[in-house]
Amino acid sequence: MPKFGMRTRIILLFIIVSIGGLVLLNKVFQSKHNEIHNSLGNMELSSQLREIRLHSKEDSLKAESLMKKFDSSKALVDITLGESRIATSVVLLLIIISSTTIFITVICRLSKPLKELKHATEQIRQGDFSVHLPETGIPEMRELKNSFNVMSRELETTQTRLLVAEKEMIWKDLSRILAHEIKNPLTPIQLVIQRLEERLESDCDKIKELLPESISIISQEVDNLQLLAQDFSNYAKVNQPNTEELNPALSIREIVKSYVQNFQINLELSDELRIKFDKTHFYQVITNILQNAIDASGADSAIDIRLYKERSYAVLSIQDQGSGIESKDLPRIFEPYYSKKSKGTGLGLALVKRLCDANDTIIRVKSKPDEGSEFTLIMDDLTT
Amino acid sequence: MFEALGTRIMVGVISLSMLLFSSFKGNDPQLGTINHYSSSSTLYLSGELLSAFDNDFDTVFASSATIPVYFTLKIKSGNRNVVNRQFKHLVKFNPATGIYELRKDGKPEVMRTSSVAQIVKEISQYSFSVPYQSSWGLISVSVQAEMPIVRFEELNKEVDLMVLWKYKKPSAKIQIDLRKAQ
Repeated sequence: MPKFGMRTRIILLFIIVSIGGLVLLNKVFQSKHNEIHNSLGNMELSSQLREIRLHSKEDSLKAESLMKKFDSSKALVDITLGESRIATSVVLLLIIISSTTIFITVICRLSKPLKELKHATEQIRQGDFSVHLPETGIPEMRELKNSFNVMSRELETTQTRLLVAEKEMIWKDLSRILAHEIKNPLTPIQLVIQRLEERLESDCDKIKELLPESISIISQEVDNLQLLAQDFSNYAKVNQPNTEELNPALSIREIVKSYVQNFQINLELSDELRIKFDKTHFYQVITNILQNAIDASGADSAIDIRLYKERSYAVLSIQDQGSGIESKDLPRIFEPYYSKKSKGTGLGLALVKRLCDANDTIIRVKSKPDEGSEFTLIMDDLTT
Repeated sequence: MFEALGTRIMVGVISLSMLLFSSFKGNDPQLGTINHYSSSSTLYLSGELLSAFDNDFDTVFASSATIPVYFTLKIKSGNRNVVNRQFKHLVKFNPATGIYELRKDGKPEVMRTSSVAQIVKEISQYSFSVPYQSSWGLISVSVQAEMPIVRFEELNKEVDLMVLWKYKKPSAKIQIDLRKAQ
């Protein structure tokens, strides 16, 4: 059964009740007209009067006048009845047309502001608080629109304040993380320099012995700083993907090649699948997830990478048997700067999520502490 | 032009409203095909009014008032009106004798009958003759029938007989090439 809106229901109700009533009334009226018309047809005077023998000319003239009057009246009533029936039906039609038009116009004028209000609410729901309704119409509607406008203005102000506060919070967080991450490599560098200075003052000859180790430490920490800068740069640089058709199995094999010498990685890849993905983004996603799996796993534990078809999708699963993630942490692992690792910026998985979103890929995580984690990527399979 | 348009709209509204809301039958008059033939200088036209007097007219004819039916003949040659004439058929009933009298324009004889059916048949048929000029060439002939407002003297009342035709004025058109007719 079709679902009618309130406006349609009111119009239907109006048509059924008022127009139906009018039509019914007309039916009664018409049937009464018919009865009068039929009765009139049965009234016959002239033929019977003609049969009466009249004795004087005066009587004949009187009878003729009577007959003429009677027949004229009969014709007049008949024509007037016809006229009245035509007039009734025309007036009824005009009443129905005009009242329906007026009714629909009034209903539309009443429901139009409600529609505007609904539309404006939709806009607010989508985050556009700049919506402003013209305060027109009947007083109640004007009042309602005014309240709505006040509400949208307040929401806009609140949103602006929130945005400022959020920006401030992000900057604070970022400064804190940056300071912390930069301080970490700077501390060993500072210590090495202090040691070298002390040796320079006390035992200048033996400084050569310390140099290789010191250089190695400084170099390693500089590398760490570079890595940190790279992470931030990567996260900020996620741009529009340049998607192309990829053979995911081939790409995964290439990526894994540099890891297999040091880690146990089991591959089970279907070569028939094709996906649409930015090649660089795909490399970044797989590398990040794989690196996380390696970091979470022990030296001997294996990492399983499976690529298979499920319905019209290409599904990639990267599963480790590492330390796993606490269930309370799971909802936050894709948030920027959220990390439980001692090393790391907390940008890796956030970057993964952003890249997946940019390439229309769904990413899911299943994890249990001390049992391991499984990251699953679900992509459209182009061969379907 | 506006009058014709107004009449058309009115007839349309009446027809629609009667179709939807009225049990009034009335009459739906139509003019049949115009028949014609011509002599060297006179054009003879004839035809019939159909379904015009089937309902309610027996009472009207018997009212003893004179009931006229008008036939308007228009002949156009190109855009020029060359003939515009009205012919009348008149019916009058004498209640004392029960006899109907019918007079037709252009015919000297008066028809008398006591049969309504005969009167209806005769009043429905028309025939006109008009002189013409061969220079008219291709002409457009139109005939339109209508009834006027009639006064019932005994009651001192006027009634519009077009009510019984639901305000429709039946008409017929034909084109005649007078050069071929010659």
